[in-house]
Amino acid sequence: MTPQETGGTTTTATGIEAGTEAGEPAEEQPVAGEPPPRGRSNLLRVLATVSALVLLATGGFLLSEGQRLRDTPATANRALTDTEATTRVIGDVSSALAKVFSYSPHDTAATEEAAKRLLAGEALRQYAALFGQVERQSADQKLTLTSQAVRAGVTRLSGDSAHLLVFLDQVYEREGRAATTAAAQLSVTARLRGGHWQIVEITSR
Amino acid sequence: MNARTRQLTGWAALLASVLVCALGGWSYAQARGDHTLSYAEARDAALTDGRRHLARLTTMDGKDARSVRAGLTAWLGSSTGALHDRLESTRKQDTAALTESGTTARGKVTDAALTALDERAGTAALIATVDVEITDRGGRPGTERKRFEATLVRTGDGWKVKALDALPVGGGA
Repeated sequence: MTPQETGGTTTTATGIEAGTEAGEPAEEQPVAGEPPPRGRSNLLRVLATVSALVLLATGGFLLSEGQRLRDTPATANRALTDTEATTRVIGDVSSALAKVFSYSPHDTAATEEAAKRLLAGEALRQYAALFGQVERQSADQKLTLTSQAVRAGVTRLSGDSAHLLVFLDQVYEREGRAATTAAAQLSVTARLRGGHWQIVEITSR
Repeated sequence: MNARTRQLTGWAALLASVLVCALGGWSYAQARGDHTLSYAEARDAALTDGRRHLARLTTMDGKDARSVRAGLTAWLGSSTGALHDRLESTRKQDTAALTESGTTARGKVTDAALTALDERAGTAALIATVDVEITDRGGRPGTERKRFEATLVRTGDGWKVKALDALPVGGGA
């Protein structure tokens, strides 16, 4: 390939780019073989480069803006926005609390088994503190406790972690006496383990 | 690199930058039009406003008539709809009664969660636990733990409380 041929092809190349970029008619392309007008070909190359850079910058900016909109703390929290996951965690946690805070002197094993299965970590220790008293009374005074979640809301929900506020109604029944009802409000942290929500922290409010 | 390759590379680079720009535009448009984002923002706004208003509605400085009037004005500012109307209509009696009792209450929301949110209708349901520190005139302070359920409504001035109920035990599911 001779230097002249090379120059001619280069001119054609920039000529095509110019046709796209600046909307110039193809007829204005220099015939191959003619020496290219140096200044013009350089100008076109610069124009093409600048437009490519502008497009890249715009694209990058829009991508990062879109990502910023998507990655707000608001959207990272899926409480209520993910209806299905919200319903599931409320269901799991409500039923877990009902099980571990229900007690009958005839069936202590069921409550213990439920606590071991549904609670973990710090919650197990907190549970012992919250519940130990009731447990002792239950044995002594034939006390039956039935808990039921009456309201529950999720404040934070991510893939495998959730924070909830649960209102419980608790009915205490002593043999031979009228039942009394008490209210309990618990802030609960739960983690998803093996497809089930397990309670890892309980705070009484 | 010969001229042919340079030409192709130039085209490819230009095409790639067009694609990047198009992808960016598409991604941005998706995020902008995402319903989840506005819903999540409405949820956070309702919870924040609800907590603030609940704290105000459980707070009253009963020191004198002036502080009671200021407290009732705050209550009116935190409420809307039915609750606002009721507070407005009983304002005179409330001022007299609260000034006479001289009780001071300071409410602090210890936890709160939304149980429902209809972003389009602009309504939300909130549950909250509140520690209310109550001081009788000249008396010792005592803390009451309360649980509330509130209905929130979006107004031109943020979310406000339309209904407020202290949930009694056995209040039912």
